[in-house]
Amino acid sequence: MFDLEEKISEWRRQMLAAGIKSPVPLEELEAHLREDIEQQARAGIEVSRAFEMAVRQVGNPVELRKEFVKTGTQRWLMLRKLKGFLLGAGEIPLPALNNFEPAARRTLELAPEEARHFNHNFVGTEHLLLGLMRSDSKSLSKVLRTLGADNEAVRLEIGRMVTAGAVAGAPTPVPFTPRARRALQLAAREASSMNERHVKAEHVFLGLVREGGGVAAMVLRTLGVRLESARAEILKELSRHRGAV
Amino acid sequence: MPAIISSLDIHIGTMYSVSMIRKELVAASAEPLILSLLDRGESYGYAIIQEVKARSGGKLQWTDGMLYPVLHRMEQRGLIKARWGESETGRKRKYYSLKQDGKRAMEKHHEQWSLVHAVLSGLKKEQYV
Repeated sequence: MFDLEEKISEWRRQMLAAGIKSPVPLEELEAHLREDIEQQARAGIEVSRAFEMAVRQVGNPVELRKEFVKTGTQRWLMLRKLKGFLLGAGEIPLPALNNFEPAARRTLELAPEEARHFNHNFVGTEHLLLGLMRSDSKSLSKVLRTLGADNEAVRLEIGRMVTAGAVAGAPTPVPFTPRARRALQLAAREASSMNERHVKAEHVFLGLVREGGGVAAMVLRTLGVRLESARAEILKELSRHRGAV
Repeated sequence: MPAIISSLDIHIGTMYSVSMIRKELVAASAEPLILSLLDRGESYGYAIIQEVKARSGGKLQWTDGMLYPVLHRMEQRGLIKARWGESETGRKRKYYSLKQDGKRAMEKHHEQWSLVHAVLSGLKKEQYV
């Protein structure tokens, strides 16, 4: 004898085991499952078969979990940003931009553009990283390729962690998040520790990696970029460049 | 479990008998479709899926469960809002409705899809000239 309630409990256990949380979203998925079974039964389909089809139609719990986890991460990142702003965005100053080389300065111009493109009303480390990708620094793109963080991979990863805002209309100028400011300060520090008078695109990149907690740092970590090896690659590239001049 | 295997066969069979809309396009069209459906009034997951299926002649199909992460993300972004209610038979049901930002996002989607459509049909017409 087919016991629908027992079957649904079993289905719930499988969903929970795969990491689908209760009450959100499991209760809603169960409501959907029951709705589907009821409609099919009304159309004359045997309940056991209706159940089987409804379960398949709801989908593989592992795949579903991946999608819901994404939703959670995106929300968490947005809340964290808001908190950062509330806890004193203005306290971390931007470093003096006249020390920035053209490619690095171009990054700072492109980053707000990237933010606007996402309908975001802030410039975060992810926008700085995207700006960096477009800044046309030949030596940096070479390093990034070596590190396995080329343009396409970076864009793909950022797209996974960040969703675009719904409505355009960011304020002008778009404010930099505390983490973005901190990354830029670290960039300036990287430059001076390398005895460079100017902040290059490479230093901005190192600043983003060193900052550690922003979306850019997370994305780069996912792509396997480590601070030490990135710094070593960049030093190698910079000294090669210097040798050539 | 032979029962499952046989119904899986049927499932795969129907999937290939109609020319289904490819998955990238299904994903990209989810948000504008949901927004446009909710613009006509409050609705819930199951009904949204059924309506899209019916209107596309079954060619636009989501894995049902995958609709919910999309709805939740849209809710977080302030496009839609949700409330728990009851069905006619007293079962729990989560209803979604459009918010002001959602309406604006919908209009933007319509503009963009119309533009893509216009470009595409312009090019198609030129093929026959």
